[in-house]
Amino acid sequence: MKRSSIFTALLILILPILARGLWFYRGLPQRGEIATPDFESFAAPEAPLNKTAAKANTASEATGGIVLLDTIHLNQFNPNEIDALTSAIQERGGRMESYIDSTQLEYQLKYASAFITVSPSVPFSTNEQQTLKKFADRGGRILAFTDATRNFIYYDSTSGNPLAYGDSESANSLLSAFDITVNNDYLYNTEKNEGNFRNVLFDEFSKSELTFGLKEVALYGTHSVESLSGMILLRGMESTLSSGTDAHDFSQGGAALSADGNVAAFGDFTFLTSPYNSYTDNATLIANLADFILAGSRNTSLQSFPFVFKEKSVQVFLTSEVTKTTELVTALSGLQTSLRAMGIEIEFTDIRPRSGDAIVIGSFAPMDEIEPYAKKFDVTLGDGDFITTAEYGDVGRYGTGILLFDASDKGNTLVLLADTPEDINSLISVISNGSLSACLTGESVAVCSVGVGGDYSSESTDGEATDEATPEATPTPSG
Amino acid sequence: MNESDTRWERTRNGLLWVAIPLILGILISTLIPKPIIGVIRLEDAIYSFTAQNMIKQIQYAIDHPEVRAVVLVFDSPGGTVVDTEAVYMELTRLRAMKPVVTAVNGMAASGAYYLSANTDYIYAKPSSMVGNIGVIGYLPPSPFVIEDIITTGPYKLWGAPRDSDMRQVEMIKQGFFQAVELGRGEKLTAGPETIYSGQIWSGIDATRLGIADELGTETDAYNKAAELAKVANYQAEDLASLAGVNTSGLLFFIQGPDGVSLPYPNKAGVYMLYIPPLPVK
Repeated sequence: MKRSSIFTALLILILPILARGLWFYRGLPQRGEIATPDFESFAAPEAPLNKTAAKANTASEATGGIVLLDTIHLNQFNPNEIDALTSAIQERGGRMESYIDSTQLEYQLKYASAFITVSPSVPFSTNEQQTLKKFADRGGRILAFTDATRNFIYYDSTSGNPLAYGDSESANSLLSAFDITVNNDYLYNTEKNEGNFRNVLFDEFSKSELTFGLKEVALYGTHSVESLSGMILLRGMESTLSSGTDAHDFSQGGAALSADGNVAAFGDFTFLTSPYNSYTDNATLIANLADFILAGSRNTSLQSFPFVFKEKSVQVFLTSEVTKTTELVTALSGLQTSLRAMGIEIEFTDIRPRSGDAIVIGSFAPMDEIEPYAKKFDVTLGDGDFITTAEYGDVGRYGTGILLFDASDKGNTLVLLADTPEDINSLISVISNGSLSACLTGESVAVCSVGVGGDYSSESTDGEATDEATPEATPTPSG
Repeated sequence: MNESDTRWERTRNGLLWVAIPLILGILISTLIPKPIIGVIRLEDAIYSFTAQNMIKQIQYAIDHPEVRAVVLVFDSPGGTVVDTEAVYMELTRLRAMKPVVTAVNGMAASGAYYLSANTDYIYAKPSSMVGNIGVIGYLPPSPFVIEDIITTGPYKLWGAPRDSDMRQVEMIKQGFFQAVELGRGEKLTAGPETIYSGQIWSGIDATRLGIADELGTETDAYNKAAELAKVANYQAEDLASLAGVNTSGLLFFIQGPDGVSLPYPNKAGVYMLYIPPLPVK
């Protein structure tokens, strides 16, 4: 009896405990160890420093030339950001000169080898576009850098949405003439990149002087660039996508070259900045860019006047018809001063120069010394009232000066012809003034009013001529 | 022994062997606590103050056996990396002992999603904003010297070169991505190029992608937590009040001139934070 009572009592004791326990608890949850990231195994991606490429950059051949650097299109960069390129250009004997006044563009492009614009925010004017197109058509080099990370951020007044005004539209105003388009996007690669998805690696290159020696380059926030008629210089991997479409496009890359090979556009310029200029083969690319920019085979013509000479000295040859009068000496001294301002010395010679840069001064009288030039440019000299030119037909001999320009590998020769000693002196003065604005000017032949004894006004000639500033001291342009 | 004595003895025996054990059993049973589903709410960014509050609540849940499971209720764009990681690590300790379920209200973005990924189940509302997996940082300026500030090294003032800061962000990203891999793993239905694109999804899309488990309410989250903890008839309790934490926050975001909080942190740094493109006007 007692045992059963104890058992009952225990049962009764446990029952409410069990009931409450079961009311709330239906089992024991199994909890295992929770895996967490292996933080200690993580490492920041290493910078792909390439010391060999940096060394290669210094081994360059001096070629010289002046490079115009655009600063008037609200360019979103600091000059020190392109120090690596500037240094590479200087190592090759080149010199950077700022483009600060659009009215001077045509003049500056007469002696410059190349034009560089970096992240422009203001479109190029029609006049600038045409001038630069002519420049590139003559063999001048143009390099346009844009950058997807350079934007003016502003807010839409209606929605409040932030909007980014980048540089692609402004760059395209220049590049469209060369069938190159910079897209308003950025390239990215989440699979294989240089430290960040927006730092895109390129390991496929079109064959070009710009891509010589490249195995891998990295661009840091680049627009995509395309050209139907030209070539894509840097092609991304298939996993490289455009932010515009989130897809890969084989017709796009990080840089493109125009069909004529004179204009290159890059979607990024951060690769020029430190330390990125020393990563991957970027230093080699920068060296190639410097070579490219100074290697333009720009055709010199009378359009480039007064920058028509290649050498540091010019031989001056007077034909036997020309007498060194006091007035002529005065005119020649003016010419000497003008050329010296451009860093060119003159040397007088009694023998018609066969090589090197030269100025030949003569009259319209048919002479053996002049005939080869006249013949070459279809100019018929003689005793009549008119001189016949292929480009301008018959022009009156009185008060007229004719310029012939012969550019060759041996040297560039400028021939000055006029009827009388006074006209010759006036023609030399026109040349000394550094402008052909009073002349009908073609590629190789110009007809100038020298205003003595003819139908032209001497006042207008002088007036036009003095409007132009005397050229600043400038190294002899190359090519 | 007369009849009355017998009756008394029966009564006494009844009291001794039935009523007393019953009363005693009932009294003892009250020692069995009613299970609590602890609720931790985060309706702010994750920064030192809110992170410490969360950690105190997590600690409370660890220390108190009656808290059988925890539900994290999020309406947060994330926050600083280090504070998010601090909460993440404490959460891991809790999860080893008790189930944790997430209920996303408005948003569990970036760092808040980092924490969500370290829970057993994620509920979202159809229009909740979920995801934005990744790291965002402000690079320091290129170093320069200032006349009136003297330092002992070129990066004493600036912290790090811009380039190494960029690479640090990439390293932090690895932790985030691995946390998502570990937390969601096979539940993810899209590839890394989608999941880690930094996109923020609606709750509907998030469940399709396996970023979240199910569309549901906070109550669903309590029930799920109870199910995982194998408890019933639970009581959902706000752990903030139980742990005695002060939830009135400090200023993490920039304050506009009109006092309106802008969605941008008030100091530069590296964040697991969703910064919306629309400025608050």
